[in-house]
Amino acid sequence: MTRIPYRRPEEMTERARELTTERGNLNVYRTLANAEKVYTGWMLAGRDALTSPVLPRRLRELIVLRAAYLMDCAYELGQHNDIARTAGVSGDEIKAITSDSDWTTAGFGPVELAVLQLTTELVTTRGVAPPVLDQVHEALGAEATVEVLMVISRYAGLALMLNALEVDLDETARLPTLPQG
Amino acid sequence: MSRIPLANLEQQPEPIRQWAARRGNLNVFRLIANAPKVFGGWTEMVDELFDSPTFSARMREVIIVRVAHLQESPYELGQHLALARTVGLTEQELDALVGTGDLDAAGFSSTERAAVDVVTELCGTHRLGDDSFAAARAVFGDEALTELLMIVSCYYGLALVLNAADLDVDVAARFQP
Repeated sequence: MTRIPYRRPEEMTERARELTTERGNLNVYRTLANAEKVYTGWMLAGRDALTSPVLPRRLRELIVLRAAYLMDCAYELGQHNDIARTAGVSGDEIKAITSDSDWTTAGFGPVELAVLQLTTELVTTRGVAPPVLDQVHEALGAEATVEVLMVISRYAGLALMLNALEVDLDETARLPTLPQG
Repeated sequence: MSRIPLANLEQQPEPIRQWAARRGNLNVFRLIANAPKVFGGWTEMVDELFDSPTFSARMREVIIVRVAHLQESPYELGQHLALARTVGLTEQELDALVGTGDLDAAGFSSTERAAVDVVTELCGTHRLGDDSFAAARAVFGDEALTELLMIVSCYYGLALVLNAADLDVDVAARFQP
């Protein structure tokens, strides 16, 4: 059970309420809204990440699932198991990403493999060998590489909050796909 | 030498240029400015974290320096050890936060020590045990505890970006809180 009470929409500022509604009123948001002085900024950072067209949705979901698995975050895994499927990730691929090493032989292309390697090394060791980063940088360019790193950053950090507060997975509600900005 | 080229802040859109200047024109901004579609939202998050009155500047630096140490981020440590000194942390306290001194003997208040304990357990195990959570909640309450987690989350994640890029610590420029 979620360790702190959810904020009700009527307790939020109008801007916070709009951002929460737009993202499906999920338990994660209603929980983090307790930090009312910093919640809106955190939501705006997330909104930019979710609406940026730079990374294909499929690639972003691969990163999120891999980070969620490595951070042992049941909430992120629960949400993104379903979201990833809507972005073209198959059930077998999800199974492979959410295992220790099956993803290395699951038939991902070279760019996806390089991004998964980067995510794995960074989340587990806090650093990454230069050739691993270089491979992603050469394939995707600087803008997308920084966005890849920012996605890892956000979901690794969010996993800490979700785990610390033991936020319950929503029964059926899932993060809606926001239109790209 | 940063493994990803740094963007020229002078060439950024006006709001970003102004924000970066107000916050000290750091290399970390040059790095993230490579991704202009997510930089704006990130700056709004940083602004709220530093404008919030929930924690003192000193408490915020206690939290950030501890995260930076546990995430092994030379860049975060480079910036925030300097910032921490300007808001009154002593060398003995900083030594304790970065693992070369004794946390019990450093003279932290019980509230500061409670924050350090949350950061240490969370960064080390990725969760909080029942007793740890109950103790932290009793000290901070729901709002401040969640805000503390937001700070940890931000710097824990940012350390990964900085370490991956092997970003050079700024020679003289300092973050302007």
